[in-house]
Amino acid sequence: MRLDDSEDTKDLRVIASGGCHDCGGRCPYSIHVVNGKAIRIEPRGELRACVRGYGYIKRVYAPDRLKFPMKRVGQRGEGIFERISWEEALDTVAENLKRMMETHGPSSILCQGSSGSPGRLHNPAPIYRLFNRLGGCVYRWGSASAEAAYFAAQVTFGTHATGHTKDDLVHSKLIILWGLNPTENIWGTDTSFHLIKAKEEGAKIVSIDPRFTNTAALFSDQWIPIRPSTDTAMMMAMAHGVIKNGLLDARFLETYTTGFGSFRDYVLGREDGIEKSPKWAEAITGVASKVIENLAITYGTAKPAALIPSFAPGRTAYGEQFHRAGAALAAMTGNIGMPGGSPGCCDIPPVGVSPGPNMPSSPSLIPIGENPLEKEKKEGDHPLNFAFRSRYRVHNAKLWDAILHGRSGGYPGDFRFFYVVCANPLNQILNTNKGVQALRSLGFIVVQDHFINSTARFADILLPATTHWERDDYMRPWLGGDYHLFGNQAIEPIGEAKSDLRIARELAERLGIRDYSDKTEKDWLEEIVFSSSDSKRDIDSYDEFRSDGIAPGKVKRPVIAFEDQIRDPHRFPFPTPSGKIEIYSKDLADLHDRDLPPIPKYIEPWEGPRDPLIRKFPFQLITFHVKTRAHSNFYNIDWLRGLESHEIWISAIDAEGRGIKDGEKVRVFNDRGEIRIPAKVTQRMMPGVVALGQGAWFSPDENGVDQGGCANVLTRDEASLGGATPTNTALVDVRKLG
Amino acid sequence: MRSGDPCEMQLGFFFNQSRCSGCFTCVIACKQWHSVGHEVMNWRRVEATESGIFPDLRISFLSLSCLHCQTPSCTSVCPVSAIFKREEDGVVLVDSERCLGLPHCGVCKDACPYGIPQFNPNHDFKMEKCNFCLDRMGQGKQPVCVDACPMHALDAAPLTELSRSYGDGKVADGFHFSYEATPSIVLKRKR
Repeated sequence: MRLDDSEDTKDLRVIASGGCHDCGGRCPYSIHVVNGKAIRIEPRGELRACVRGYGYIKRVYAPDRLKFPMKRVGQRGEGIFERISWEEALDTVAENLKRMMETHGPSSILCQGSSGSPGRLHNPAPIYRLFNRLGGCVYRWGSASAEAAYFAAQVTFGTHATGHTKDDLVHSKLIILWGLNPTENIWGTDTSFHLIKAKEEGAKIVSIDPRFTNTAALFSDQWIPIRPSTDTAMMMAMAHGVIKNGLLDARFLETYTTGFGSFRDYVLGREDGIEKSPKWAEAITGVASKVIENLAITYGTAKPAALIPSFAPGRTAYGEQFHRAGAALAAMTGNIGMPGGSPGCCDIPPVGVSPGPNMPSSPSLIPIGENPLEKEKKEGDHPLNFAFRSRYRVHNAKLWDAILHGRSGGYPGDFRFFYVVCANPLNQILNTNKGVQALRSLGFIVVQDHFINSTARFADILLPATTHWERDDYMRPWLGGDYHLFGNQAIEPIGEAKSDLRIARELAERLGIRDYSDKTEKDWLEEIVFSSSDSKRDIDSYDEFRSDGIAPGKVKRPVIAFEDQIRDPHRFPFPTPSGKIEIYSKDLADLHDRDLPPIPKYIEPWEGPRDPLIRKFPFQLITFHVKTRAHSNFYNIDWLRGLESHEIWISAIDAEGRGIKDGEKVRVFNDRGEIRIPAKVTQRMMPGVVALGQGAWFSPDENGVDQGGCANVLTRDEASLGGATPTNTALVDVRKLG
Repeated sequence: MRSGDPCEMQLGFFFNQSRCSGCFTCVIACKQWHSVGHEVMNWRRVEATESGIFPDLRISFLSLSCLHCQTPSCTSVCPVSAIFKREEDGVVLVDSERCLGLPHCGVCKDACPYGIPQFNPNHDFKMEKCNFCLDRMGQGKQPVCVDACPMHALDAAPLTELSRSYGDGKVADGFHFSYEATPSIVLKRKR
C-alpha cells in the first residue's frame, strides 16, 4: 500500500549542498542520500531554488551522462564515440598537446571555458592554470552575457559593481525593468521575491520588452513593447523628456558627473542637427511618443526610482550605448547612491562580486598564473580598444572566424588544438553553422563536460567531469550577494567521471609540469574559500561553514552602490579618471572611434529595423532565456523539457499574414542557417519581432537544417566594439513548411 | 466520519495568485520529492490563463494539486473504495493496491472537478495524486511545494487557520470553485 512515500530513513543521510548553473543566483538545498544514491532534494531556508534546482537530480543521473572517457570513431559531428580508459584518454590529449606545442607553439592552442560548473574550485580555472604553466595558449575575451554592461559601467563609474542588493527594491517608488525577466532567467536567487514585495508595498513597475514575459505578466503595471536593438533610442528620448520638462537634478549633475553638457547638446540636436525627441524615437523604436514622454516624466518625478537594465538589450549591436544611456538617465534624475534608486547601468551590487568562473581574472579561483603569451605590453595600449583587447585573445563573437582564418585574418594564432571545458560554444556562440566549419577544420578537439552536447559531438576526446553533487565545492552567486555556499559531496562520481581539478592535475603529470599543484584538493578548497576579503569577514570556521553549507554575510543590508561617493564625494571619489560619473569619457574620446563615442549615443544597428536587409528577412529575432534551462544546460532533462514546448514566438498578426497556425512547424531562417520548430502564435509578441529561447541543442539533419531549434544558427558573428556579443540583433524570416 | 461532514481540522492550501510567476518550481519540487518518475506526469500542475489583445494583456497562473475536498467526488465514485478521506485532518488518500487503475477504471478523474487523479505508467497505471506530504507533516514540516515556492505564494494549514490569515477567497483566474465538492483551498485572485 502506497499511502505515503516515506522511505526507510534508517540509512538516510542529509547533505548540505546547493548550487546549479549560470543564472546569477546560487541556491542552498539539502540532498537526501540513501545507500549512496541521491533520492531527492529538500528546500532549506529562505533562499529558494527554482525548477532547475529541483530538476538537478535528473541531470546528475541522466541516462545520457558522459560516464567514461571516449574517443571519436566517426566523422566530426556525427557523435560516434568509443569508450576508452582514462589512461588512454589523458595520454592521447597530452601527446597531441606536446606535439602541437613543439611543432606550432602555444598560439596554435585555443582554450574555451564557460559557465558549465557553478563551483569556485572546479570550473575551467584548473585547465587555464595548466595551459599557463605549459607555455600559454589563446583565450577568449568578452563575456557572452554582459560585456556591454561591464564596458559601460567601467567607463562611466570605474567599476562593474553598480547595482543594489535586491532587498532594496521595496524602497523604490518606480521600478523600470528594462528587458529584465527574473521570473524566468532568475537574475539572483531572490530577485523575483523582492520584486513582488516591492509591488505589494506600492511600487509602480514598468516592463520594457518586445515579449510579454511572465515578469511583465506578474509584476508590471505597464508593458511597453519595443523593437529590439533600439532601446538606446528610447532612452535618448527619455533624456529629452527629462530635460524639456525641467526635471533635471542639476545639483546632482553638477556635484557628481562630468560632461553632461555634451550629452545634452547631443540629445537636443545641437551636435548633429537631430533632436532626439520622443517623436524621433517613435519612428525607430515603435513605442508611441506619448508613452516615452510619460515614462520620462514619471521617472523624472518618482524619486527614488530604479531603472534596472537587463543584460539582454546590451547583447545587441552597439549594446554598450544602452548601458551608458541608462547611467546617464539615472544621473540626470539623481537616482544614484540612494535607497530605492539604481545607477541604471550594470545591475551587480558591490558585494560578493565574482565576475564568474569564465573570467580568468576573477578572485576565489585556483590561481591560474599569467599566460606567457599575454606578457608583452606595448606603449600606447588602450584598455578599451577592441584591437588591443583582441591582440592576445579572441573576442567571444569571433571564435569561429578566428579558427577559420587565424593570423591571416588578424587573429593572434593559427589554431589547431581546441580545449573546451565547462562550455558548449557551438551552441552558445553566434553563427553555429560557421562553428561547424570551424570545428571541422581543427586538428584536435578535447571536450571536458557532463554530456555529449552539441560541441562535444565534434570532439576527438571526451573527458567526463563530475557535477557539483559528486565533489566538494565553494559557491557564490555571480550577480552579487553576501552569502557563501558550501556544496558538500553527496554521492560518488557517476561512472568514471573526475573532478575538473583532478583532470587538470593528471594532465599536468603527463606533461611534466611538476609545480602544477602542491596541495590536496581539500587544501585547495580551504585556501580558495578564504581567498577573498568578504569570506574572511563572513566565515568564522571552515568546519562550521562546511557542515552548515551556508554562511550568511555580515554586511549591512541592503547594499547600495556608491552610497559613500554620494554622501561624501571629496573623500570618496568615483574610481574613474575624473573621480566623477563620466557621462563624457575622455578615455573614449581618445579612441576617436565613431562606434564608441565619448557620450552615450544611439547608433543605427546592423540588422535592425531600418537595415535594408529587413526587406528580405522581415523579422527581428530575440533569443531569450527560458525557465527550464541555464543556457544549454538542462536541455536534455525530460522532466524540465516536458513543462514547456520549444517554439518560435510570433505575433498573431504576423502569423495570420503568413497563414501560420499555432503549434504548426515552421521554417525560421536567414542567410546563416535554418531551424525548424513549432510556432507559438501569440498576442504576447510585438509584431515584427519573433522570439526563440536560447540553449536548445543544435541537431542538424542531413541537409544541415537544425531540427533542434538552436538560436545561434540564426545569429550573426559580429562583435560590438565595446565587446558586446549581439545575440539579440538578427533578422530572420518565418515561413510555413513546403 | 461520514463523507460530507466537514472535518474540524480539515487541512487545506492557500494560493496567492498575485504572487505566482508560473515558474513550475512547485511542480518539480513535488515530483522529485515523491519520485513521480514518469516524465510528463505530475501531482501538481501550473496553468496559465491568458486574455486580451496585444498590447493589453492579462496572464494569470494557477498552481493546483489535489484540493482534499470536503465532499470529494472521487471517493464516492470509486468502485473499490480505494480513495478515502482521513478522519483526523481530511486529507484524501488513495490505496494503490486496491485501485483498479487504467484502462479498467479511471472514473475518479472524470468525477474530479479539477482533473487531478493521475495514472502512473511506471506503477501499473494506478491512480496517484498529492498526499499533502504526510511524511513531511510527520516531521512538523510544510508540504514541499509550500517550502519550495520562490515567491511564497503557497501556504498549507487547517482551513480555519488559513481563513483567519487570508480570508475566504474562492475566486482565482482559471479556477472554478465547486460548491458540490467544496475544495479545501483559500485563494487570493491576481489583482
